[in-house]
Amino acid sequence: MKSTSYNLIMSALYKGMKGERPPVGNPTSIICHGLMDLCGISFPEAHLEPQAMAELALAGHEILGFDTVMPEYSVDQEAAALGCKVDWGDRNRMPDSRHFPYEDFSDVKIPDDFLEKPSIRVVLDALSILRRHVGGKAAIIGKVMGPWTLSYHMAGTQNFLLQIGIEEKEKVHRMIRQLMPATVASARAQFQAGADIVVLADHATGNLVSPRHYEEFLLPIHRELTSTIEGPLILHVCGNCTDRLEMFADAGFDAYHFEWQVDAKTAVEKIGHRMCLVGNVNNPEVLYQGTPEDVYKQVRYAIEAGVDIIGPECAIPLATPIENLRAIVSAAHEGY
Amino acid sequence: MSKLLSTIKEAVVNRKRKEIEGLVGEAIEAGIDPTTIINKGLIEAMDVVGEQFSASDIFVPEMLASALTMKMGLEKVKPLLTSADQPSRGTVLMGTVKGDMHDIGKNIVNMMLEGAGFTVVDLGVDLTLEKLMEEIERLKPDLLGLSALLTTVIPEMERAVREIGEKGLRKNMKIMVGGAPISKTFAEKIGADGHGADAAEAVALAKRLMGE
Repeated sequence: MKSTSYNLIMSALYKGMKGERPPVGNPTSIICHGLMDLCGISFPEAHLEPQAMAELALAGHEILGFDTVMPEYSVDQEAAALGCKVDWGDRNRMPDSRHFPYEDFSDVKIPDDFLEKPSIRVVLDALSILRRHVGGKAAIIGKVMGPWTLSYHMAGTQNFLLQIGIEEKEKVHRMIRQLMPATVASARAQFQAGADIVVLADHATGNLVSPRHYEEFLLPIHRELTSTIEGPLILHVCGNCTDRLEMFADAGFDAYHFEWQVDAKTAVEKIGHRMCLVGNVNNPEVLYQGTPEDVYKQVRYAIEAGVDIIGPECAIPLATPIENLRAIVSAAHEGY
Repeated sequence: MSKLLSTIKEAVVNRKRKEIEGLVGEAIEAGIDPTTIINKGLIEAMDVVGEQFSASDIFVPEMLASALTMKMGLEKVKPLLTSADQPSRGTVLMGTVKGDMHDIGKNIVNMMLEGAGFTVVDLGVDLTLEKLMEEIERLKPDLLGLSALLTTVIPEMERAVREIGEKGLRKNMKIMVGGAPISKTFAEKIGADGHGADAAEAVALAKRLMGE
């Protein structure tokens, strides 16, 4: 196998042949001020303009040396298309939803032109631009929100979680199920537009909700999603999910992108034989506040543990020093 | 009397939102002292809930439902309290840092602090430093609680702690920080006075910072 960026990522995704070194990937945003300055593109235009979105994603590959390009930096693209008012932020601030259209848990309506809404279209167009630039060279990663995360956006996170707490199960089941087609449509369209892999982010976060909640409400839905969406999927769930790793494998995802709270060795031991693992360099203490030496140690630990694709645990703080991102790449370039 | 108090406690632990007001009403009618209802019914329940949460027996949805149940009970008793019954343990200013709209953890901490007898002023989410400074100068709180959920906003927490110090606003005020990505190490690095891993720890921390 040639050790190109694309080959290394795709082979690692399916736990195939190992190339010269472990691949470096970013299922979530690696945009920091340093990278924005180097390529002359900033937020919010990189959330709103396909060319800017694609070029900033390319910078992750061309300037930093990541083996992937991932053009979706916010978690609000589908939410905006479903009727949330999204504040797209600025250079120093990520976007956020400011209004919850289904606070009353009324029936969710997915618009007929959902895929043509500007916040969805921009990602699809950016993926196609990336395909033309680095198709077959770097792995192109798309990103969609799962129905659990979309429920936070539609009903408000506290409101949604409270319904679980007071056992309004029917409401919860109904909302998730009604939102599932939005995730499916978005993911399929991203594959068709040029994504090699799609990240499905669904924040049934460790410490926030229990493995029982995941099993009861989300596991059946995730099983349906993984059997309906044909292309390779990386699940992203934040927090310490050590207690539910096996369920993520049961759900049928090809890979899991995990945070530093889950020990890399434990993750590999529990599910490394069933799915690809992506992660898990710590954001707050290592990438943001640490030194390249700290980053090096974490990367080498993850590689030795058997993590398949190395990258930050989650979207990085915008003020992350760029040399710490470069340190991920150089540590992985030392090989296995 | 103790039977009624333990029923109130159970109602909070088991998230019986529909029953709590009635039960507290019964306790008031039975002549139970309001502070006893709060301390032996509502607060003791939240101690149990806090322990269950720390042990991962329950998670945020259950914690949230219990805290709201407690708050409903608290609202029912509060009008009966005189300031002599429950002197404030101190004023706590609470907020989620700039760029972050998440507030569940903060809201739970707020409810627990109120239950524990603190006066809580909630500045909400996406809090600008200007607004925060203004409110610190205006209200002169004993404690400031800063929350963050997104790993992308943690620099804002660091900046807030630093600039509040530079402005000389920490002389009579302690800063506590918390939120999913915030660890004790991080809290120490940015110079906060304390870190609470969960709501129960936050209340214990607030008491400790007040010198109790």
